[in-house]
Amino acid sequence: MSTMRSGLRSACALLRRPVDGTAGKPLALNKRRFASSAHDDEYETAKWEKITYLGIATCTILSIYHLSSGHEHPPEPPAYPYLHIRNKEFPWGPDGLFEVKKHDH
Amino acid sequence: MMESIRHSYHLVDPSPWPISGSLGALATTVGGVMYMHPFQGGATLLSLGLIFLLYTMFVWWRDVLRESTLEGHHTKAVQLGPRYGSILFIVSEVMFLFAFFWASSHSSLAPTVDIGGIWPPKGIGVLDPREIPFLNTPILPSSGAAVTWAHHAILAGKEKRAVYALVATVSLALVFTGFQGMEYYQAPSTISDSIYGSTFFLATGFHGFHVIIGTLFLIICCIRQYLGHLTKEHHVGFEAAAWYWHFVDVVRLFPFVSIYWWGGL
Repeated sequence: MSTMRSGLRSACALLRRPVDGTAGKPLALNKRRFASSAHDDEYETAKWEKITYLGIATCTILSIYHLSSGHEHPPEPPAYPYLHIRNKEFPWGPDGLFEVKKHDH
Repeated sequence: MMESIRHSYHLVDPSPWPISGSLGALATTVGGVMYMHPFQGGATLLSLGLIFLLYTMFVWWRDVLRESTLEGHHTKAVQLGPRYGSILFIVSEVMFLFAFFWASSHSSLAPTVDIGGIWPPKGIGVLDPREIPFLNTPILPSSGAAVTWAHHAILAGKEKRAVYALVATVSLALVFTGFQGMEYYQAPSTISDSIYGSTFFLATGFHGFHVIIGTLFLIICCIRQYLGHLTKEHHVGFEAAAWYWHFVDVVRLFPFVSIYWWGGL
């Protein structure tokens, strides 16, 4: 959203520029034209560093929890006509990618 | 002759890369079609086309980096071009992915009798959204926080911190792709299992592909930051990578909520 807003703002700034002979001048309005914030960067750097560590900690805890708990395998479904569709062979052979190779061929 | 330039625009030199890129793209599409249908030499033409395309991307972007970083052609006025270009590109990507979510919603909101009139279709094994999908969803926003950290570090002139922040961003991205690969490998269904498999793997697969593109983009930014290419005042390449990365991590929430969670329970 903020990207869109700053994009619009700079588009308006472009339109406001007088057309006669100013094209050669460096654009004074250009500084941080597409920026999402105008806060103190030292403070923002430290804040986002902390948020990143919080995110990494959360993801690590979730990963450990997920990887330590097992998962169930669903039972083999009946051969419904809309499952395992094969109209022609794949360029690399009869098996699909990411598929358990269990068929006889 | 530098004295005679009285405007702030970059008049580019003639370059062989547009035509070499076009030839590479032609060989890739023709080779791709030949590979997917029983034509001889399809794999060879496809590989040649891809190598040609990757080579063109490398040398073209190498030239752009030389023009901007070493020759100083990217004035403020010139920088507007890649900025608007990046925004329009991301908008087109939003529309591209929107089509896949549309396909998924179209098929799941009123499931046809052919798949048992239910969603997920009868007999389809679906992934538990509380497992890897739930784990993978906060990884991307965390990576988005890390890229914001990198952005503020660049603006504050903290060059080393910015490199660390980008390493964190890329590491989280790689962890996401690793888990996504694991999920695909363990998934009880494949892309050939009914409209569920088609829409699921098309939407999540293209999202995953975009994550990989964004990761490569960020790796390049990390290397350029390490080499001192990016300054407080001039880091358009990094900004484009950050916008792209935010697009990728926000888009992840849509498949998670609508495809994994709502469509999988």
